[in-house]
Amino acid sequence: MNAFVVYVLLLKAIGSSFAGMGSLPQIQQDFVETRRAITAEQLSQAVLVGRSTPGPIGAYVVAVGYLAAGWPGAIAAWLAMVTPALAAIPLFVLMQRWLHLPRVRAAVDAVVIASAILLLASGVRMAADAWQQLSAAFL
Amino acid sequence: MELLRRTFIANGCIDEAAHAGLVAVSRLTPGTNILAYCVALGWALHRWAGALVAVVAASLPASLVVCVLAGALVRVQDYPIVRILLAIGVLVATVLVLASAGSLLRPYARRHALIRSTIIAVVAAVMFLADVTPVRILLLSAALGAIIGGSAQPLDTAE
Repeated sequence: MNAFVVYVLLLKAIGSSFAGMGSLPQIQQDFVETRRAITAEQLSQAVLVGRSTPGPIGAYVVAVGYLAAGWPGAIAAWLAMVTPALAAIPLFVLMQRWLHLPRVRAAVDAVVIASAILLLASGVRMAADAWQQLSAAFL
Repeated sequence: MELLRRTFIANGCIDEAAHAGLVAVSRLTPGTNILAYCVALGWALHRWAGALVAVVAASLPASLVVCVLAGALVRVQDYPIVRILLAIGVLVATVLVLASAGSLLRPYARRHALIRSTIIAVVAAVMFLADVTPVRILLLSAALGAIIGGSAQPLDTAE
């Protein structure tokens, strides 16, 4: 997979989430189901590697990029991870004006709740894959 | 984030109110909250230079370790013992994903916000079962949240 495509797909996934693991459902859909750039097993391994490493929870996307496109993919994934974080600067500047708007806060709350539901669904899928891997490993 | 709070407040770089503001910004920023917190902190202290140094320091070392570990896994994953360990590890990762979902939902399970949170959660689940894409689910949930109104938790106490 092209590193630029890795960047765009991960940016879409990360930019539409509000938590480190919130990008997982979109990554699962784009990289595993639609483009088949990595397998479900590799995605689980990326999550495992990401969670075993000190640092941001969202760093598992770098493993996704690496598994999908080698080192160029890893660099693209790192850039995709840090790009949305830079949005904190204009938000910091606008915060005083926007933060106390109840509807803005309510919309962010709703996105976090929906992210959690999507994450639960991803967890259930991963559990099914993990069970298959465990059965295959022992048989 | 707690370690950053203690360190920077102890050094006199920020105070509690500034920290609360930074947490709020990090919650409103898409992506990984801790990276957004670091960028906002760096910006508050040294503008662009601070923000860039902060984002690199907060993400690059972990990303390199992740790459090295992922590369090592690719090389050894075909050994039977490694496959067994990986399968167990993936099971643990699954539990961690489910725990992440639980920790995201916990602040919204408070009594005063339960009905509102349940409505949004059920609508998101129905959309997921109807094969709506994750991005659309999040956008429609944001719209629904804005329409219903109210807030389940103060942003400055999130995380």
